[in-house]
Amino acid sequence: MTTDVLMAQPHFRTSSFTTELFRRHPLFAGAALCLMVLMAPTLVAMALDQRTFLDINVWIKPFKFQVALAIYLATLAWFAGWLPARVAASRLHRIFSMIVVVAIGAETAWTLGAAALGVASHFNNSSPLAIALYASMGVLALVLTSAAPVYGIVILRHRDSRLDPVFRLSVGIGLIATFVLTAAVAGYMSGTGSHFVGGNHSDAGGLAPMGWARDGGDLRVAHFFATHAMHFIPVFGFIASRALPASSGKRAVYAFAALFVGLVGYTFAEALSGRAFPAMLY
Amino acid sequence: MPPDDIFRICNMMAMAGWLALLASPFAPKLADRVAALAIPVLLAIAYTGLVLAFWSGTEGGFDTLPNVMRLFTQPEIALAGWIHYLAFDLLIGAWEVRTARAERIPFLAVVPCLALTFLFGPAGYLAFTALRAARIAIPTNPQGVGVAQ
Repeated sequence: MTTDVLMAQPHFRTSSFTTELFRRHPLFAGAALCLMVLMAPTLVAMALDQRTFLDINVWIKPFKFQVALAIYLATLAWFAGWLPARVAASRLHRIFSMIVVVAIGAETAWTLGAAALGVASHFNNSSPLAIALYASMGVLALVLTSAAPVYGIVILRHRDSRLDPVFRLSVGIGLIATFVLTAAVAGYMSGTGSHFVGGNHSDAGGLAPMGWARDGGDLRVAHFFATHAMHFIPVFGFIASRALPASSGKRAVYAFAALFVGLVGYTFAEALSGRAFPAMLY
Repeated sequence: MPPDDIFRICNMMAMAGWLALLASPFAPKLADRVAALAIPVLLAIAYTGLVLAFWSGTEGGFDTLPNVMRLFTQPEIALAGWIHYLAFDLLIGAWEVRTARAERIPFLAVVPCLALTFLFGPAGYLAFTALRAARIAIPTNPQGVGVAQ
């Protein structure tokens, strides 16, 4: 019933997590590793550089992007093990993966470059070049996030998968939800001048570890939950696949997914109304 | 952390790498991991961090000698340049030790090249290349055949 929830095939149980990641998707795993290596000099720069942007060290943002994108790539690499073999081996998949990695590389270089120059990356309307960069990085962000729903749809349609059906459903829904919710929240955010709503428009004194505003609304909260649908929903699905029979397990996954969408909507509305997250603390 | 402290720490790290190379006949694998991997990686992280943090604030460039000299008027960039020397000289030293071992060049003959590489990088590389050239020009002949002729 619950066989092969984490491993596609039994004989890979002996290999370590990293080996398995590289076996499932060498390009994504390798790119995640590169980002992790890049974190070391970024942290050195953070320790040495006194410059700030919105009252916090300029290197915090590129570091957060490196962490987030490494987690994203590693998760995709893991989920790639559940694609049908002929899809995973296809030329189209390889080209698509390469485009995703190039987009991630460009986002990484953009945030690092902006930090090195001590200027804004997002919401930078100071020059025609900055506007063009911000706009093209928005397009690339959409490109890199599109890997999630593509994987989600392919995994959902992979009927002869050896994956537990309840878990497979949660992975598919989670991946699709990541794209839809992120595109909605981040799309709205990029149309406004800032992710802050009210408050001092400062990153100082934010809610650790993410640094969300505590003196007003912060649209990054909704962005965070939207983007991590691909983690939250499959984790629930994994537990449901263990604890419940298939039919009720699937219903539980649908219910949880609906609740999760509600949570994203709630944090979004909360930020729009200028209230800090989580509201019960303030 | 002030640049002087980073300077001191990096110098000590490089020195540890060179000591590992001197001890390499006793522990070749360990020496290689320390001098050709661990320490150069740490130095490279420090270098990259310095360049990320301070490059945009510098004056000068790579195009003319006065511009290069202007780059090095900023302490953090001069420090990065120094770490560049430390890392790459050590890597060349480790390569000399590896190459000598593979080509059966006696370690004692390599030691002067290491000393030169440590102090004056490219001069040491030149000396080691001359040593290899000499070895090729005078082939060893374990059987002694032809020596007397």
